[in-house]
Amino acid sequence: MPDDRRAVVTGLGVVCALGVTESAFWESLLAGRSGIGPVTRFDAAGYRTRVASEIDDAALGPALKARKIRPTDRSVDIGLLAAAQALESAGLASPDRAPEPQEVTTIFGTGAGPSDSAFAGTRSFLERGLAGLRPSTVPTVMINAVSAQISLRYKLRGPNWVVASACASSTAAIGQAFRLVRAGHAERVLAGGTDAILNPLAFGAWNNLGVMSANPDPDTACRPFDVDRDGLVLGEGAAALVVESLAAARARSAAIRAEILGFGESSDAEHITRPDPDGQARAIAAALASAGLRPADVGFINAHGSATPANDTCESDAIRRVFGAAADRIPTASSKSYFGHTLGACGALETAATLLALAHGLVPGNRNLHHPDPQCAIRLVGRAPEAVSARVAIKNSFGFGGHNAVLVLGRFED
Amino acid sequence: MTRDEVIQKLREEMKVSSTEEADWDAVGAETTIESLGFDSLSILDLIYDVQQAFGLSFDAEKLVDVRTVGDLADFIQKELDA
Repeated sequence: MPDDRRAVVTGLGVVCALGVTESAFWESLLAGRSGIGPVTRFDAAGYRTRVASEIDDAALGPALKARKIRPTDRSVDIGLLAAAQALESAGLASPDRAPEPQEVTTIFGTGAGPSDSAFAGTRSFLERGLAGLRPSTVPTVMINAVSAQISLRYKLRGPNWVVASACASSTAAIGQAFRLVRAGHAERVLAGGTDAILNPLAFGAWNNLGVMSANPDPDTACRPFDVDRDGLVLGEGAAALVVESLAAARARSAAIRAEILGFGESSDAEHITRPDPDGQARAIAAALASAGLRPADVGFINAHGSATPANDTCESDAIRRVFGAAADRIPTASSKSYFGHTLGACGALETAATLLALAHGLVPGNRNLHHPDPQCAIRLVGRAPEAVSARVAIKNSFGFGGHNAVLVLGRFED
Repeated sequence: MTRDEVIQKLREEMKVSSTEEADWDAVGAETTIESLGFDSLSILDLIYDVQQAFGLSFDAEKLVDVRTVGDLADFIQKELDA
């Protein structure tokens, strides 16, 4: 593959309940610390689920202020912060200098868009009629607000748009970045995802869907692949990657952190919420094919692992279908027991976790995995971090609507 | 309402909607609105807040030529008199 078509990662930004810096994020994952706690962003009395993974305002506020990010909607604010960190770590921006225009494409995934603002606007309209609708409502609640704000704030002059495919959104966004670079359509892309829906309306809708854990204990509520799992735990989060061609990264002597080797996606075309192992397996196989790799080349699987009864058995089945006997030896783990299910952000946050695992040769454990579900017949990492010599990993993300998206990620090697 | 009173009231409104750490006491008729940290999104909220504070209703499009705090005060006075 020529250098101008290889897609490498040169910047990383993460914002979630584990922290608002890459080091806080990674240290918590290794230490087995969870960011899940009681819901505090609104009064959840009367809700079936009363735990969530919330970002600490004491850390978020100063990080936004240092970059002069004016809060508009929480999902946009944290998306901007993740983007800022990714650009800063790639050497493409600094909190201390005004941004100069640059040719960067912005692609962000989001499942819900600016949910808090949509709720606030609706409530204000119901209370005060038309006078309750601020003129800023449309540009604040539009689903592409996050990519628009990132482009405006950092003067990124390539196209900006969002991918909306529920919980596969940001994996798909990074996949589009990979494809643009691979095809020679873009040299440099900021790709990531964001979601923050901890308001009474959106959280209530999830509550009534019946897929969230009813376990009131924050520490044990999220149990991917465990036989006693009883549903997902929602979280707020955002993450971003700077993806550029190897040639472009080299031309500016950027530090290269990882390589994106492949991407595959599919639709189940079966059911609006129930996952389908055939659709998931097709996406995994397509990702491997696009990387030119065989199943046996994969050394680590970062699972979607949402901890719903349906997902984890279905995903295990899909992994078995593609990997066959190799599924008995490829370490597989879910990151969601640490920072919950961050919906449209989960793929980007978990891609960050996967890249860090590859770089450190250390996979964070399956927190809360006490009794592996016998129906999840794959090689699950235990609760403690596990040393791996993997050079290639895959990152699975599956969304309502039947969208499956899978990235193939690799340690950078010349 | 005199022009100074309008500017004084505007200053209070802007202090709330801006996140820029401006020297608000020094804000006067010549200060540009852009220098106070308003961008193309937050200016929409400022217009709304001004409308609420002064009990006015006008089309935001009418403000395209408004650049300074003084320009905005003049516009508001005209609307109040109309």
